[in-house]
Amino acid sequence: MLSVSTTCPFCACGCGLYLLAEPRELAGVAPSETHPVSSGRLCARGWGAHEAALWGNRLKKPLINKHGTLEIASWEDALDCVARRMTDLIKAGKPVGVLGSARATNEENYLACKLARAGLRTNNVDSCFNRLCAPLLAGLEDVCGENVPSACIDDIERSQTILLTEGDLARTHPRAASSVLKAVEGGARLITLGYLGTQMARIASLHLETAPGNEGEVIDRLLAAVLNLRLEDPTWVAQHCNGLDDLRRAISSTRLTDEASQAAERLARAERAVILMAPPIGHPNQARRDAAALATLAALTGLLVKPGSGLLPLLPRSNARGACDMGVTQGYLPGHQPICDPCAQQRLSDLWGQQLPSADGLDAESLLQSVSGLIVLADDPPSVLPIGQRAMAALAKIEFLAVLDSFETSTSRMAHAVLPIASFAETEGTITNMEGRVQEIHAATVPPGEARPGWQVLAGLCARFGVGVSYDSAGDVLNEIGLAAPQYARREQRMPDKVWGGQAVQGLNGRKYNLRAAGVASLPTDDRPTLLVRDEVFDWGSDPLISYSPTLSRDSQSQRKLFPKGFVEIGKPYADELGIPVGRQVRLTSATGQAVLPLRLRPGLKPGVLVVPFAFRDHVAQVLGADGVTAVRLEQA
Amino acid sequence: MQPITLTLQKRDGTQWLEKLLSLGEVIAPVHGSGEDVIFSTAACADAVLWDFVNPLHPPKRIVLPQTDPLVKIKDNGQGHEVEPIYDDAPRILFNARSCDAKGIAFLTRMHEMEPADESYLRRALRLTVISLACTAPCPLGFCVCTNSGPFLSDGYDVQLTDLGENYLVEVASQKGHATVSCAPSLFRPATESEIAQRKRLEAEARNHFGEETCHFASAMRRVSTGRVSDALWQRISDWCLECGACNFVCPTCYCFSVKDLGRNGGWVRCRMWDSCQYTAFTLEASGHNPRPERKERMKRRFFHKVSAQYYQRDAMVGCVGCGRCIKACLGTTSMPAVVNAIRKGKWNE
Repeated sequence: MLSVSTTCPFCACGCGLYLLAEPRELAGVAPSETHPVSSGRLCARGWGAHEAALWGNRLKKPLINKHGTLEIASWEDALDCVARRMTDLIKAGKPVGVLGSARATNEENYLACKLARAGLRTNNVDSCFNRLCAPLLAGLEDVCGENVPSACIDDIERSQTILLTEGDLARTHPRAASSVLKAVEGGARLITLGYLGTQMARIASLHLETAPGNEGEVIDRLLAAVLNLRLEDPTWVAQHCNGLDDLRRAISSTRLTDEASQAAERLARAERAVILMAPPIGHPNQARRDAAALATLAALTGLLVKPGSGLLPLLPRSNARGACDMGVTQGYLPGHQPICDPCAQQRLSDLWGQQLPSADGLDAESLLQSVSGLIVLADDPPSVLPIGQRAMAALAKIEFLAVLDSFETSTSRMAHAVLPIASFAETEGTITNMEGRVQEIHAATVPPGEARPGWQVLAGLCARFGVGVSYDSAGDVLNEIGLAAPQYARREQRMPDKVWGGQAVQGLNGRKYNLRAAGVASLPTDDRPTLLVRDEVFDWGSDPLISYSPTLSRDSQSQRKLFPKGFVEIGKPYADELGIPVGRQVRLTSATGQAVLPLRLRPGLKPGVLVVPFAFRDHVAQVLGADGVTAVRLEQA
Repeated sequence: MQPITLTLQKRDGTQWLEKLLSLGEVIAPVHGSGEDVIFSTAACADAVLWDFVNPLHPPKRIVLPQTDPLVKIKDNGQGHEVEPIYDDAPRILFNARSCDAKGIAFLTRMHEMEPADESYLRRALRLTVISLACTAPCPLGFCVCTNSGPFLSDGYDVQLTDLGENYLVEVASQKGHATVSCAPSLFRPATESEIAQRKRLEAEARNHFGEETCHFASAMRRVSTGRVSDALWQRISDWCLECGACNFVCPTCYCFSVKDLGRNGGWVRCRMWDSCQYTAFTLEASGHNPRPERKERMKRRFFHKVSAQYYQRDAMVGCVGCGRCIKACLGTTSMPAVVNAIRKGKWNE
């Protein structure tokens, strides 16, 4: 019986666990009692972490499309084929790109970035999860000058006040939700902000209700309350912040409420307080402004400098932060250095021995719809991107699609070349959690068939594009990452704890904070319109680590079977008010189109709001605009 | 066989372990990553810990693995051939704490009930449990409330007690006897004063239990007579995050689901740990779920754990007082917390 210490592969909390293995087969999971993030607590996903690697439809042999069907090939042939086809497309002047992944390791993402920028000479490199992370981190950077979290999960439990912009923390980040529960049990005040009556909202001492997509208005009210009640330290603000007068002007017409005043006081007067910031819903620009306004709130209430206090962005998936840090993001090189920064360009050109392209790259969604050649690392864009089935159609149009994954997905089934890689349970590497902690993952068993560690496969591709370096291990790749991304250099020396991994991203002092308001979102102005909102809580049911796990996939599979046409959710009071029986088909009509689907009850949903789960977004694609919130008319079909 | 009581000099512990390692796989508390202590296969005698806080993950997986292959299924062209998988490897669980020894005894009784579970029983029959009595309560344990510690009167093959210079070695079974007879020169009969010292240590340990206790009797009355309101279950359920850890770390929980794993052109039918707290645990093929709400699942769990009906069947509550659920619970709904709420009819008020 083997027990291998590793890091949970699901959300960005980054819990520690042991994979238990009998010879060559995974057998289970055990929690790590003294792990600095999880301290012995795991969620259902963590407890089932071994299942997908064991039960999943695994990719075992390299495959190449020959005469319309995928046929088994040798590794050499498969890698040569990818190199040749991509080179042909580049020579023909056609656009190519690479998608990295928040479910791949830092080493894999770094090499994917290097392959794209130095090998294929394109900045078309991104990851599907960046659509959620990028506005959140950019908003933070707008205010703080860097996108670094100032609180960790451990701070939550010791806080007196917690402000949570609520997606659905209990579902998205159970370990962080655990800390919130324990803090509240110990007397902390929880303030939730959002449109859903979630579990966290039910245990909160104050729930600041908003209309979906209108969170910014409430955040601005909190900012107004802080300034109105003079809760900020004027001397500190004068010394460390820019833009106070502009901020005052921007929120001068904001309506003050007792609730907002109460929340602002709780936040500013607490000795220790944290703000937990979920990816905001709505248009990316508004999401970015909302995130910036929350960072401003943290700055004004002193949270960014009080010990044990701060702001923690809740990134969606295990290595979302690492993928950004590795330069698998539009506009940034490894180490979060802008591609237009000449120093960074020079340093990476020297390191990679290749001039870097200067043309701007595309984001994942645009890239998918416009490139002729695409290499996808460990991701399935149709299940992750809001465009859903349209991503599928885009994939079908790509002239050459190569997929590196451990699991069969809808994307791998469309690929012209399939390169099987080891899953998290069979490979070495690091992932960076949402706190910025770089943690190791270790192999508990061997990959099935001929699958190889992802870093080896990507290194093989890099070599075929003339940017190869011979790596003996994932550790060699990490050493090179240290040269490319200064935050990851000399990681060992900066580790507070040699065993568990250290903080890679750390705050740089001496910068001034740029204060910003959210600006009120422009919502439809009809008399109380009914809003249809796409639930942005990630549909774990579509992730191979869940969909292939017998224990974890049951709910989502059952829902998909029972509701092949999806459903839309409504609160009981609103259904009663409209006189529409729950369970019946309803017609939703918006400015852009209509859809008919069944109505289901969702507890805690306020009147005027309808929610469609992310999994069923395709069924309302005609109704819902690109922003994820739209005004609709609801009637019985 | 007649129980016998022996003495082992502490300095001979390593030598004894070396003998045991030659008898089969020895699973014992060993160092994991960081400060972790875990139950794992001991590579050598020196790896085994003697002074430790009981690991968070219980040793029940030795007899009931999280993924447990039960039968091989093959399609031979005319039908399906079914071949049971038995694990007859001899194993020794060494330095288990009293609660865990009691937990395995509970599981074995449960799996002996008709129809007996041969897959489980074969493993359990080849397992020798050598427990180390607790001379001081562990930080979260409340085994005095469940009659499963700090010392045991049954449920072990060998029980060790730390007497300072020596270990008292109580041998209760044939399997236990085999572990001492392989190294007869290391043991001598215990003296009257050593046996008296063990009794004194047990009494002292019992007196040192602090606040972490759990009063089951009145909770049992309320649960068994339906005097816990739905409103209370509703309130409690908001403090659970449905992680299933209470079940997985519990030495007495054994609920499972079954799934076939494709291997070598056939299938292996596996039993897998499941949690009665998961929404899909009672989900039926039709899509109907008799316990769709969390409060209903919690109510069911505590009925199984502490009702008189199950107490009569199992002769104990479904808890050995190890306190693991306090540490592993992602929410705040550990056994002592909920038992307390049931007794008082209040939650966080």
